[in-house]
Amino acid sequence: MSALEVQAISKRFGTLKAVDDVSFTVHPGEIMGFIGPNGAGKTTTMRICSTLELPDQGDVLVDGISVIEEPRAARRRIGFMPDSYGAYANTSITDYLDFFARAYGLAGDRRRQQVARVIEFTSLGDLVEKEISSLSKGLKQRLCLAKTLLHDPAVMILDEPAAGLDPRARVELRELVKALAGLGKAILVSSHILTELAEMCTTVTVIERGTMRGTGSVAAIARGVSTKQIIFARTLTGPERLERTLLELPHVSEARREREGVVFEYAGTQDDLVTLLTQLAGAGLGLVEFAPQQVNLEDVFLSLTEGKLQ
Amino acid sequence: MSASTTPGLRIDDRLNPILVKEVRQSLRGKYFRVLFWLTLGLGTLIGLSIVASLGGENSDETGQIFFMAMFGVLSAAVHGFVPFSAFLSTSAEWDENTYDLLVISNLRPRQIVQGKLLSALIQALLYYSTFGPFLVFAFLLNGVDLLSIVALLSGSLATCVALTMLGIAASSLASTKVLRVVLMALFGAGLVVAWMFGMGMAGTITFQPQSLRDAEGQTAVVAYVTIALLVAMLGNSVANSRFAHEEENRSTSLRVMSTLVVLCASLWGAWLHWQFGGIGSLWACHAVAAAALFVPWIFFMTEPEPLGRRIAAHVPRNSLLALLAMPFLPGGGRAVQLALLQIALAVSSSALVLLPSSTPVEEIVKTCFLVGMAYGYAFAIAGLPSAIGAFFLERPSARMLLRIFIFLSLPVGVILPALAGLFLGIREWTRFEHPFNPVWVIADFEMQRSGLGGLIVLAAGLVAALLLNTPRLFAAARETLAASRARKAAPKPSSSAPVADAPAS
Repeated sequence: MSALEVQAISKRFGTLKAVDDVSFTVHPGEIMGFIGPNGAGKTTTMRICSTLELPDQGDVLVDGISVIEEPRAARRRIGFMPDSYGAYANTSITDYLDFFARAYGLAGDRRRQQVARVIEFTSLGDLVEKEISSLSKGLKQRLCLAKTLLHDPAVMILDEPAAGLDPRARVELRELVKALAGLGKAILVSSHILTELAEMCTTVTVIERGTMRGTGSVAAIARGVSTKQIIFARTLTGPERLERTLLELPHVSEARREREGVVFEYAGTQDDLVTLLTQLAGAGLGLVEFAPQQVNLEDVFLSLTEGKLQ
Repeated sequence: MSASTTPGLRIDDRLNPILVKEVRQSLRGKYFRVLFWLTLGLGTLIGLSIVASLGGENSDETGQIFFMAMFGVLSAAVHGFVPFSAFLSTSAEWDENTYDLLVISNLRPRQIVQGKLLSALIQALLYYSTFGPFLVFAFLLNGVDLLSIVALLSGSLATCVALTMLGIAASSLASTKVLRVVLMALFGAGLVVAWMFGMGMAGTITFQPQSLRDAEGQTAVVAYVTIALLVAMLGNSVANSRFAHEEENRSTSLRVMSTLVVLCASLWGAWLHWQFGGIGSLWACHAVAAAALFVPWIFFMTEPEPLGRRIAAHVPRNSLLALLAMPFLPGGGRAVQLALLQIALAVSSSALVLLPSSTPVEEIVKTCFLVGMAYGYAFAIAGLPSAIGAFFLERPSARMLLRIFIFLSLPVGVILPALAGLFLGIREWTRFEHPFNPVWVIADFEMQRSGLGGLIVLAAGLVAALLLNTPRLFAAARETLAASRARKAAPKPSSSAPVADAPAS
């Protein structure tokens, strides 16, 4: 069963259609990147998933529980980290976490143990008595993640968690998110930093102007966007001859010289690819490198979206 | 014995989380500490000055002055600093972006509001206990009797609760920074006025202690405490509904609360009638209740008509129960049903109070008519424009404008004919004796003068309001029953039972 199932949700604010018929699922242990330009409807979708907004149409199931029918039961399974995380004045890290643990109904030893556990998980142990106002942005973000983990939610919804963090804090956050997925949590994470998402996400959902443009693994979406594959090849005889040879072969197009080799687009099947490789090897060119290129999340995003704002 | 089984920790586990957080924040922050020591220092200084100025003499007046000075400082703390800190604490939830975090936690709105109130009351309790010795000293100086001190402290505590709840309610309404600043200024000014009013009352009780010895004086104190507690409960309902999420049912608790106001007016009216006789106090209680209900009715009657998806999902499956619950569910049409229900409740309770007594039938009819007139004016003024505005109530801005318009229509309706009377040379109108002034019309009818013009205006307004609201009434009933039928037809969710109270693991 999927941990988070978004079922054809739509939401309107006055005349603005913020979210229009969006559907996707996130499974336990999966990190889904939720990407889209500003005003695409990411935050509205995430707030609907977190029970903070009600969809005009559709529903969201969290562990099979409807956010419309049973919002309180759904909330116990959701850990939501908003983009503008909240922190109280005159409060230490321990007091802050203790308060939210109480707010989530944890009592006695269980509360104390859970607070200690999330402090250890987020490596905040040396700072427990520090006032939140004196923490850096990265530490505040880590504290907010710790708060989100207190009630051990099955689904985590992280809205722009890496925004404004320095490179070290970003790496640390990425590792924490990966570790959480390793614990079997379903994670939906939005970010503008596509390279960041590419490194941690197993799947992505692209949204623009409230409409979903694609969902699935980056490779699967890329296949949906284009049937062509990008391949890099290098020979001992140099790129000129290789380029000429390639352009004479079937299914090859758009060949260009790059890094002493040739990058070309290939539209054939996997069987055709075997034939191509055999032909190149037998052409006496001294083939030393033949590598299909990894699909770039940025390319996928740019090809799926038009960059228009609502 | 493990750590969690010690009695102290068991009590700690049961404490309201908001209360624990607020107390910890107060102890860490400067605001409470500075104000507490400042108040205590000021009290001590004033007390010492008065004692030093005695010069060995002691009269009743000395005790009274000492008491008034101490009560003044205490009152500034418990009617000023405490409610204001409750206001700041609630508005901090908006400022610090923690509002959403609270909404999605397991905390219920009432727990949040109770926690804020309790932490404020703990502060107040500290002030009361600190000033306790000063008040005992004032008592020992003579001049102030025990009854006056008890009455004043009871009134002070009720005022503190009411003002604190108003502070929490006011700041829970202020979702934007600008509104927060405006409300903060208004609330601060209101607290100063409340302090001055409290000091006036304290002066009357302190310097004229005989005023508390008769039944009327004691009734006045109890009535004051009742009104203060009703205000606190109203504030509590407003804050509760604000802390509930926008998509949740924010109206039902306020509707129940408003019905409680009618019941309270009925009970007070009945008690005053049995205590002092006559019908004046009975209909006067309802007139005050009608005035108090005017603003909630404006809000209820201008609510969007459709039941939200989350509210529709909780309409009783049983059709009869759904019909009974209908006036308490959100929506303008259902608010009209609620208002009619409350008017019926007020009129019938008045008749029930008077029937067993020896009141002549025509007096009973007159009282019921007066009660009906008081609520009828509120119903016509709120119901008529809201029925017309129901066509464009979907837009929040239009809803807000309509509410302001209805609210202002009452004073404008009273003042405008008076101004017109100046130009037209109608002297009665310039004295506010015209059919659009509910107070004059009701008083005119009560004194059995010829108030026919006012009655005609009221009757016309009522008929128009009822006729225009009829489609809304039926549509609301149809929608409620449809939601009930839809729930009956839908299979019961299987997942709800086992997960209702257990955190996810």
